[in-house]
Amino acid sequence: MASSTAGATERRGIPGAQFVEDVETYLTQSGLDVNSALSFLQERLQQYRVVEMKLLAQQRDLQAKIPDIEKCLDVVATLQSKKGTGEASIDESDSVCLWLGANVMLEYSCEEATALLQKNLENAKASLEVLIADLQFLRDQVTITQVTVARIYNWDVHQRRLRQATGAAKDP
Amino acid sequence: MQQQQAGGSETEVTWGDQQNINQFGRLNNRFHDLEEEIKAAKESNENLEDAGNELILTDEEVVRFQIGEVFAHVPRDEVETRIEEMKELTTKNLERLEQEKVSILSQMAELKKVLYAKFGDSINLEED
Repeated sequence: MASSTAGATERRGIPGAQFVEDVETYLTQSGLDVNSALSFLQERLQQYRVVEMKLLAQQRDLQAKIPDIEKCLDVVATLQSKKGTGEASIDESDSVCLWLGANVMLEYSCEEATALLQKNLENAKASLEVLIADLQFLRDQVTITQVTVARIYNWDVHQRRLRQATGAAKDP
Repeated sequence: MQQQQAGGSETEVTWGDQQNINQFGRLNNRFHDLEEEIKAAKESNENLEDAGNELILTDEEVVRFQIGEVFAHVPRDEVETRIEEMKELTTKNLERLEQEKVSILSQMAELKKVLYAKFGDSINLEED
C-alpha cells in the first residue's frame, strides 16, 4: 500500500488531503499563520463529515436492496422448480411480474425474470464495492487531516516554548 | 472512537507513518463491522436451530415456509433439507468471518507495536 509520493489527488469528487512533510515548510509555503491553517483544516474535516453521511446513507440503501433482490430470486426459483410437479396450488404460469419501481410492474418469463434479477444483483454488489472503497478513501483523508491538525498544533506549542525560553534567557 | 494524536514536538511524522496510521484506522473500522456481521450470523444460526427443533416437534406434514416475502406450503422433508442447507451456509459464513477477525486483530497488534515504538505516548490507539 506504500506509495513513493505522499498524498492522493482526489477520488470521485472527494478532495485528497495533502500530506505535510514538514509543518514549518507547509506554513511558509501556504502563507498561512497557525490559526488560519487550523481553521482551514477544521473546515475540511466538516466537509468530509458531510460526504461521509451521504455515502453511509447510500451504503445502507444498497445493503437493504441486496437481500431483497436475493429473496425475489429465491421466489422465482421456487416457482420454477414447482412447475409441472402438481405441487403448486397457485395457478401455474410461465411468467412472473416484477415491480420495477415508479409504480411500474412488468410481466416476464421465469427465465427473463431470473436474468434481470441476477443482473440487478450484480450491479448492486458492484456499486456497493465502489462505495466501500470511496468510504475507505474518505476515512484515510480524514485521518491524514486529523494528524496534520495535531502536528501543527504541537509545532505551535513547541514554538511558543522556544520563544519563552529564549525570551527568559535574554532577560537577565 | 479511537483518538490518534501523533507527533510530540520532536517526533517527525513521515508518509510511511501516516500510511500506517491510516491502515490501522481502516482495520479498526473493518473490525467493528465484522463484530456486527458475526453477531448477525450467530443470531441467524440460532433462529435456524430453533426452526429445526420446532419442525421435529410438529406433526404437520405441510409447513408454512417463508420464501422472500411470502409463506409457501412446503412438505416437511423439504423444509428440513432447506433448513440444513441454510445452516451450513451460515456456519461457513461465520467461520470465514471469525477467521478474518483473527487476521485483522493480529495485523492491528503489529501496527500498534510499530507505532507505539516510534511515537510512544504521543499516540493513542486504544478504544476509550
